[in-house]
Amino acid sequence: MASTTATTAAAQETHVETHPSHLKHYFVSSEQQFDAAKLGMWLFLVTEILLFSGMFVAYAVFRIWHPEVFVEASTELNPWLGGLNTLVLLLSSLTVALAIHAAQGDDRKGLVRNLIITVLLAAVFMVVKYFEYTHKFHLGIFPGGFFSYEEMTNPYVPLFFSIYFVMTGIHGVHVLIGMGLLSWLASRAYRGHFSSDYYTPVELCGLYWHIVDIIWIFLFPLMYLI
Amino acid sequence: MSSQHGHHIIPKKTLYKVFGALAFLTVLTGLTAEYVDLGSLNVPLALAIAISKATLVATFFMALKYDNRVNTLVFMLGILFVGVFLVFTLFDTVFRGDLGNVGSETISEIERLESTMREGEAAARSDSAAAQMPGMEEDGAAVDSLDIDAQAEDNDATAPNMTPAPDTTSATGSAGSGASSTAP
Repeated sequence: MASTTATTAAAQETHVETHPSHLKHYFVSSEQQFDAAKLGMWLFLVTEILLFSGMFVAYAVFRIWHPEVFVEASTELNPWLGGLNTLVLLLSSLTVALAIHAAQGDDRKGLVRNLIITVLLAAVFMVVKYFEYTHKFHLGIFPGGFFSYEEMTNPYVPLFFSIYFVMTGIHGVHVLIGMGLLSWLASRAYRGHFSSDYYTPVELCGLYWHIVDIIWIFLFPLMYLI
Repeated sequence: MSSQHGHHIIPKKTLYKVFGALAFLTVLTGLTAEYVDLGSLNVPLALAIAISKATLVATFFMALKYDNRVNTLVFMLGILFVGVFLVFTLFDTVFRGDLGNVGSETISEIERLESTMREGEAAARSDSAAAQMPGMEEDGAAVDSLDIDAQAEDNDATAPNMTPAPDTTSATGSAGSGASSTAP
């Protein structure tokens, strides 16, 4: 009896040894599970890219049909604010990459700190967008049929602003979702859920955040710098 | 102790350098848009800079350079399909109006113009038909409603100021032609 208990105990120990809590039974190793998760995330990100590409194609079609209208309408946008937002998002991409670096090095404090800074930078982005939007509303620039800005009378000018509001609006929703995800991650990281063995959620949300940044990298010149 | 030893840790220095390059490219985008005038090449230049920035983010921040190649494959396939989407849509929209019976007006505008034309012509025809036979007027009106192509041609011929045809004869029928705006 003693030998079986010893064997069972040894077996259990080995079982725990080779089976960390995050590893699902259907994966051979943590490595494989992580790679599978990453591939799944990339597949999702491609759907996100295609989501935005629908709007970019609409932009292209209408811009080719009315090029001078787009040039005129985009003069209302402030390229300094757009440029500031671009730098803010690029910086937030850096901080989220640093967060992953911290997770890989078991630096819990660094991980939490970088995640929080990323969320704060995203908040700065949203504040700048808030000011941009309210300024437009103040001038009577609204999406679609509510447009009432007398300075620009070409009937296709509201088209540009509709595209602007929809594209930056949906992008803004993605930024808000990212802020939620990153805050959730910061909370989990603070409670010690992540380590160099397991930081998959941080990695995946980081990838999401980078795609949001990449979308803005294209939005900025096409909207603000025509 | 099943540490994920297969994961490549990107050194902080690399991350900072990539950010520096991204910030520089952002400033470059702004400056070239403001001070460099290449005419119709300005947009491709801005896009080229944006593509470089996106490539840097994807390669280093998203670690595609150090990952399993299948992730890069998935990403590139996504980009490919965006390209297909864009090109095939533009094949349609850029060449609209190259056939004479399609204009840049909306369908409601064309219908409004056609009904105005039709009323004018019906009135003119009823004047002349009244001189010949009663009842001819109805046949004339029915033929008019079916003959949309002829109507459109009449529109182009008789009301040039209202329906400026898009620049169909130009070889570069895409971005930059600018002649298709309907200024009031």
